[in-house]
Amino acid sequence: GPAPAQEGAELAAVIGATVPTGFEQTAAEEVQEKLGSASRISRDRGKIYFEVPARSLPQVHRLRSVDNLFVVVQEFKDYQFKENKEDALKDLEDLVKKLPWTDPLKVWELNNSLKKKKTKRKKHNLQSPASREKLNDGGEEGGADQNNTNDQEDCAQNPVAVEPSGGQDTEKSQGVTSRNGVEEEEEDNEQSDVKAEVQANSESGTKAGDSQPGEGEAKVLRFRVTCNRAGDKHSFTSNEAARDFGGAVQEHFQWKADMTNFDVEVLLNIHNNEVVVGIALTEESLHRRNITHFGPTTLRSTLAYGMLRLCDPQPTDIIVDPMCGTGAIPIEGAAEWPHCYHIAGDNNPQAVKRAANNICSLLRKNESKDSTALGIPLDIIQWDICNLPLRTGSVDIVVTDMPFGKRIGSKKKNWDLYPACLMEMGRICAPGTGRAVLLTQDKKCFAKALSRVGHIWRRAQTVWVNVGGLHAAVYLLRRTWERAEESRSFW
Amino acid sequence: KLGHPSELPPEPVPNYEADEEFLRRLHHVLLEVEVLEGSLQCPDSGRRFPISKGVPNMLLTEDEA
Repeated sequence: GPAPAQEGAELAAVIGATVPTGFEQTAAEEVQEKLGSASRISRDRGKIYFEVPARSLPQVHRLRSVDNLFVVVQEFKDYQFKENKEDALKDLEDLVKKLPWTDPLKVWELNNSLKKKKTKRKKHNLQSPASREKLNDGGEEGGADQNNTNDQEDCAQNPVAVEPSGGQDTEKSQGVTSRNGVEEEEEDNEQSDVKAEVQANSESGTKAGDSQPGEGEAKVLRFRVTCNRAGDKHSFTSNEAARDFGGAVQEHFQWKADMTNFDVEVLLNIHNNEVVVGIALTEESLHRRNITHFGPTTLRSTLAYGMLRLCDPQPTDIIVDPMCGTGAIPIEGAAEWPHCYHIAGDNNPQAVKRAANNICSLLRKNESKDSTALGIPLDIIQWDICNLPLRTGSVDIVVTDMPFGKRIGSKKKNWDLYPACLMEMGRICAPGTGRAVLLTQDKKCFAKALSRVGHIWRRAQTVWVNVGGLHAAVYLLRRTWERAEESRSFW
Repeated sequence: KLGHPSELPPEPVPNYEADEEFLRRLHHVLLEVEVLEGSLQCPDSGRRFPISKGVPNMLLTEDEA
């Protein structure tokens, strides 16, 4: 008979992507450049939406500005919530059977088969500071909703549990059962003891995504619902919404609810009157991809990418990160802009050591992929930001994460450090064409320092971001045409 | 200085951009050779900066800064 229709080619997907807040435009540009699709930036900050053919999924996964991906089931731009809690929740329950699940589920299946093809990389255990940092980057929402924050924190725990251990899982599921709350239903199952079931799941080593849908086997899918709710006019909490929506999903598909070992993660995002139902395509955030050796304040790779893109690197540009820490920015730079030369430096020996290790990891990764590629255009040096061993005007781009008073160093130290940094960075940077992209939480100190070096640096753009729960800003500066002093006391 | 004295001229020759052989060797030295242990020497002062495990230490001493 005729060959089966190539479903993958015709199937289209509306993809939702979470990105560092403030860098929605940057992400949209990357999507346009690499996928040829235009993006919509939603009012719910930190998310963009675009449509692609399902066969482009591998390229979607290679986007460097996105943290997480999901396929949209349906979007409601102006959903009218009933004022009464019971009614509002009942509406959400009734919604389930009306949603167009078929195609999004096909996309989810396709995505699963992609995940299996990838060689399993060794995943390092992510420590809680990293996960907290990732989640808090979701940003603050307008409505004063305590539950919203709790849900974001709850959300954190699951992706981090890469290697589920019995004790931990039990604890977590107890903490978040209300969200997906079909505990009552679980008791109707073969195993009467919910606790035992959760433990059995984790100990038997069942991993998410292992179950194969179809193939003639009636394999029951496991799922959970994650609800993020923001806005001050809702009569219900995200916990309640997740619970009831989850109940209806369970009813409709006859899937099994499972907080930790789920195959399908259904997303219910409510931002005022904007409701988006989606299915997650990424298990853990992509933003830690380059870093294997973490420091206390390691920057997300997606944020590093956004910062680099902001300064529009051109082939042959020299890009310097003079306070590189564990090297997140230069490593992302070397990976994505291999036609530039990246120089990383720090005065702290621990940081330098970690950065060097991260670079080695990258080199090893390159070696295994492509036997002919040897070098990466990246170097690391231990140096003093106030006395950089670089010639005046020799650098095109300076990009760095300036020390935050609260996380490293102190606010008082920054007061003296910032102007000295800006002067030295101004010296090494090429007049007229040079630019700097600087991330800092100490905006007051930065503004003051900048006012003192107005003859060297002009502010071109400011992006407000959220780093580890702290409000920070990324400043794009342009180097003026004025030449710096040529005479140097030491260099 | 890196043990490749016979391959690279001491100074760039005129029109080096067009000299493919030179560019190839230069690329190799810049991007594919890593000094793990050694030093960098300042051509003016002669001051040496140690390189350990591939990382040069260019911090100045109290007196130098």
